[in-house]
Amino acid sequence: MTLYELIQAERAKYPVDSQSAVMPALRLAQEEHGWLSPEVIREVAEALEETPAYVKSIASFYDQFHLAPVGEHLIEVCTNVSCAVVGAQQVLEAFENECGCHAGETSDDGKFTVRTIECLGGCGWGTIVSIDHHYRTYVKPDDVPQIVEELRGE
Amino acid sequence: MASKQIDEIVLANATTSYAAYGGYKALEKARAMTPAEVTEELMTSELRGRGGAFFPTGRKWSFVPSKEQLPKPHYLVVNADESEPGSFKDNEIISRVPHRFIEGCLITAHAIDCTNVFVYIRGEYSGPYEILVNALEEVPKDVLGGVTIVVHRGAGAYICGEETALLESLEGKRGQPRSKPPFPAISGLYASPTVVNNVETIATVAPIIAMGGANYAKLGVENSRGTRVVSISGNVVNGGNYEIEPGTSLRELIYDLGGGIAGGRELKAVVPGGSSTVILTKDEIDVGYDFDSLAQYRTAMGSAGIVVLDDRCCIVQLGIRFSEFYEHESCGKCTPCREGTRWLTAILRKLEDGRATQADLDLLLDVCDRINGKCLCPLGDSDAIIVASYVAKFREEFQAHIDEGGCPFGGHSSLDHVLAPVAMHTLAPVAEVPA
Amino acid sequence: MSELVTVTIDERTVQVPKGTGMVETAQAAGIEIPVFCYEPRLGPPVGACRMCLVEVEGMPKLQAGCTLTAQDGMVVRTARTSTQAAEGQNSTLEFILVNHPLDCPVCDKGGECPLQDLTFRYGPGNTRMTFPKRTFEKPIPISPLIALDRERCILCYRCTRFSESVAEDGQLVAINRGAQSVIATFEDEPYVGHFSGNVTEICPVGALTSTQYRFEARPWEIQNVPTVCGMCPVGCNISATTREGKVKRVLSRNHAEVDEGWLCDKGRFAYGHLNARDRITAPLAKAGPRRFEELSWEEALDRAEELLRRGAASTVTALSGGESVEEAYALGKLMRTGLDANTAVLPEEIPDGLDAYRAPLSALRSAKTIAVVCDEPVVERAPVVELWLKAAKRAGATVTYGAPDEAVDALVTDRSGPTYGAQNVYHLPRTPNGRGVADAWSAAGDGEPVDEEPVLLIISGDEAALTASVRSLAERADAVIGIGMFQDSFRGLADLVLPGTSYLERDGTTVNLEGRLQRQRRAVLAPVPDTLAWIAKLAERFGVELSPYASVVFDEVAAKCFGGITFGDVHEIAELPPRAEARSERQEPGSQSEPGSGLKLVAYRPLFSGAAVARTPELHFQQPNGELQIHADDARERGIRNGQTVTVSSNGTSVELRARLMRDLARGVVRVADGQQGELHQNVEVTP
Ligand SMILES: Cc1cc2nc3c(=O)[nH]c(=O)nc-3n(C[C@H](O)[C@H](O)[C@H](O)COP(=O)(O)O)c2cc1C
Ligand code: SF4
Ligand code: FES
Repeated sequence: MTLYELIQAERAKYPVDSQSAVMPALRLAQEEHGWLSPEVIREVAEALEETPAYVKSIASFYDQFHLAPVGEHLIEVCTNVSCAVVGAQQVLEAFENECGCHAGETSDDGKFTVRTIECLGGCGWGTIVSIDHHYRTYVKPDDVPQIVEELRGE
Repeated sequence: MASKQIDEIVLANATTSYAAYGGYKALEKARAMTPAEVTEELMTSELRGRGGAFFPTGRKWSFVPSKEQLPKPHYLVVNADESEPGSFKDNEIISRVPHRFIEGCLITAHAIDCTNVFVYIRGEYSGPYEILVNALEEVPKDVLGGVTIVVHRGAGAYICGEETALLESLEGKRGQPRSKPPFPAISGLYASPTVVNNVETIATVAPIIAMGGANYAKLGVENSRGTRVVSISGNVVNGGNYEIEPGTSLRELIYDLGGGIAGGRELKAVVPGGSSTVILTKDEIDVGYDFDSLAQYRTAMGSAGIVVLDDRCCIVQLGIRFSEFYEHESCGKCTPCREGTRWLTAILRKLEDGRATQADLDLLLDVCDRINGKCLCPLGDSDAIIVASYVAKFREEFQAHIDEGGCPFGGHSSLDHVLAPVAMHTLAPVAEVPA
Repeated sequence: MSELVTVTIDERTVQVPKGTGMVETAQAAGIEIPVFCYEPRLGPPVGACRMCLVEVEGMPKLQAGCTLTAQDGMVVRTARTSTQAAEGQNSTLEFILVNHPLDCPVCDKGGECPLQDLTFRYGPGNTRMTFPKRTFEKPIPISPLIALDRERCILCYRCTRFSESVAEDGQLVAINRGAQSVIATFEDEPYVGHFSGNVTEICPVGALTSTQYRFEARPWEIQNVPTVCGMCPVGCNISATTREGKVKRVLSRNHAEVDEGWLCDKGRFAYGHLNARDRITAPLAKAGPRRFEELSWEEALDRAEELLRRGAASTVTALSGGESVEEAYALGKLMRTGLDANTAVLPEEIPDGLDAYRAPLSALRSAKTIAVVCDEPVVERAPVVELWLKAAKRAGATVTYGAPDEAVDALVTDRSGPTYGAQNVYHLPRTPNGRGVADAWSAAGDGEPVDEEPVLLIISGDEAALTASVRSLAERADAVIGIGMFQDSFRGLADLVLPGTSYLERDGTTVNLEGRLQRQRRAVLAPVPDTLAWIAKLAERFGVELSPYASVVFDEVAAKCFGGITFGDVHEIAELPPRAEARSERQEPGSQSEPGSGLKLVAYRPLFSGAAVARTPELHFQQPNGELQIHADDARERGIRNGQTVTVSSNGTSVELRARLMRDLARGVVRVADGQQGELHQNVEVTP
């Protein structure tokens, strides 16, 4: 199915006249294109019969929608308190070292985007790191080289 | 210890398989009852919402007007946005007992005469999302009985856990709270009568119907009946979710279930019910973990996220880190929260960096005071309340930051230099980066 | 429904209907609750800014007054009597000012700024914020008409709510979250929309300002003249702000039944045409195919008299519908009683019998069913009517397009035809005062028109001079006299041109589409003599008695067609005359759209066109681009998606346009802006 058709399928889940499909549509578009460039936003808007300004206002409200390009792999380290007191900052620094970029940035080779994230809802199993939207629990700085190695191999 | 020994109700018999779960017997029982009888059963159980506001669930359902009174569709919206720092129970409930949760959805739908259920699950929960969607596919059509359950994924915004913001978000708007009244029970999703309940609340419904409300109400203590799933995290040995009987003391929770402070260190403070609750010092943990007991300390079970902090935690840094969280998550709709949370972070940072004077500490409290009680929703208020509680309970530590011209931990606090998202370049950059 | 409740505010007791908003309730008690975000015209209150905090007995926390409603026995205290409320409002202002630049000395809003006023009355006297304020690049254009200063923005969301839920154009939005939130258009593209200018008026600070007014005046140097817009048949009530004899801006002057305080961008921004480069400032005589030479007024009146005497009864008068009632009457009286020249080309046909269906536009909002029988977009003809239709839809009305299957409550139409059982009928004329001009012309004499080729053609108004049918009539006439504002309209067309004036430069009355007689006031002096003055002079030469004063002329017309009311009876907020009694269901069939296999192509006249818009370069970005409006269902049947390029074809020719799917037009109709239809016929097929 094309993105347009996938979006129409999402729209069918909600009442006609509602705008509820905008988040699923953005998610689908991001899965397909990696990030939500202005052109992609326009494409989503047209599929939803909405204005691009509206779609952007929604996309920019939520942290998971990327309005700038991201690397092949997205590494998000929870630095909220429960993870922080068990060493999240050290885990983050290990990722920065291994990936070769600062938090909030993408590595030069385009492989990794590393960023911090607010509480991921796994506080008892910290440090939580979300890699390409799947959680790793109990991550310690020592685990990081191997994780990055694996990702590089993919 | 008695606390450890209770029989799990919500988390019992973990399985993701419909067959292993053994079918929806409570649902059958409920469908043989009238909707009013089901609601009555919930009233009898004295179940109160597990999302944080602790509102009696049966009463909430009873506010939904009948379709004769208001001819509009009814909706059930389940709040699976769980984003309060310290809480991770809904994550485990959906992952371990998805069918108990789905069964609860169907019983609730029956009770409020609705055929459309939406589960709003936070976007980061990909794992639980997949488990839930797979579980839903297993449910036979006739068991669903014409009820559709749509799982709607959030996309990273704590405020969407607030029920009216959640509804806005679900309607495809920016997730900003609505002013109440009207309450969702009258005008909620698509301006129709809507019940919003937390995942754990819904997952408790089937056991209540199965065992009877009166039996459920035998557990726990007055005003806090039944069981609760608490999330224990931070500097403890065994972080995790535990189903407990309210009334158990916080000390038991931390030392028996949590296995005590990790690394043999000293306890310093406990955040008892998620980041938004007033902090307790190490001397205040002999309190029962229930509504009335915690209220004596002006705090609450909230979303039952117990964050344990050892003696390496700088309380000013704790204030910064949580304040950064609220600043980051403020929806931007109301003035005191949008501007005030940011200002609080700045003043706290000034204290931490040793640039603050006595006047700044007064200002900090005054800004808290000026935020508190003036926001549209509880998010902004929470930041003000907790920061003020840190000053109230750890005033010497704040004073030391002024007197010593910097952090007394000298770079060795467990929260030192933690990089919060709000302090990081965001991947959704603003049109212009503030100077 | 309207059960009265008693509320005590600051120890004053008032009775208001239950559920009345607290801001209004306090107002009824003569007490102000200060607000920023609250604006009832934007929909339900949102409680965002927290400026309106009040103390309510029995409630532990301060409450937002804007979202609070009056309940019996409620005891409310505002900042006047409650230190807690005063502290709350002071807090809100402190937070608002934390990042506000306080650049009042160079702000256009200064002196008429709610933020200044409320800070003065309720705010802190100093600042405790020692951190750097947020800064932004400023101002940034959000269109050639509007500048946005993000530092001044207090995020009350009035503008975005206007865009979302009044204009429903989805163009101006908030992006980002929390303290990072800013107001924006998509990728800084211009805010295209018929009503964008309203955001400059509802912004309570100087964040959204008009580029035309930027640095043009200070509030103490200006005068606001209450008048009525003359750009379309709605007749929105406006204030023309003038400084040193020039119009500097146009603001709304809320007439609750007509415009509810909204203006379209043409009415708001096109006043620049008054100072157009080709404005005619002296009488002109043809001096070559494309050239004029100036005449003195004495010469001009002599020439006019000579031409009129030659044309005599074979003179035809073409009116534009932009004249005031008085101008049309004066011209009519001169022609009809002085020359017995009874033939006129009226700007349009106004169906008779409408007065029995008269209703205020605001009544649309309470209609449950509305039919729109008008192939052209309503918004292009009578923009504010579109806002009323949108308001009706939001209030739950069913609005259908095309001939309805069942009886409806209200009908909006551009034709004479069946009324479909409607109680209220709104006819949409093409011209601002087509109705008043027709009435005035018929009141001016009673001789019969003749049906012969004109010897002399009088063209009154630039819009008439630009009409194809008038131009072809001009080719057949021996001589042409034009009356108008711009040289280009009459070049090569008229032998003699007498300078005309704009609605902003004259006194008089005008009749809007509802049949409401409204007063226009002279905001500024025209660079030329008043039209009535020279018509009176010319009339004298033909023994016709005409006053040069609008008030006297009006009384004369009014005696014949407005029930004898006087000029003074036309109030600043004009009432709608009562309905005519006689009412017969109008049954004559309208212009039938013949059923064909294809779609009916309608080329509409865009709002942003015409002589005034042509002379306002800032408005040009609003002119329509190559879009084909098509009903979503017609599009789906043809496999056409929104935004797709489609081929529109008929009889071997075709045009490529972008499809815009919509639901507010009739099935079977597709529309393009006039000029974009190429050689296409009326019956077209559309393919992806
Ligand atoms: C800022 C904020 C965040 C919230 N987040 C959540 C959440 O993530 N999950 C939840 O169930 N309730 C959350 N709530 C509480 C909900 O507003 C609401 O009370 C709850 O979903 C009702 O369900 P319950 O009655 O079953 O507890 C939050 C409230 C606020 C003010
Ligand atoms: S308190 Fe914060 S999150 Fe809540 S409405 Fe106000 S700005 Fe939004
Ligand atoms: S006016 Fe009430 S919150 Fe803004």
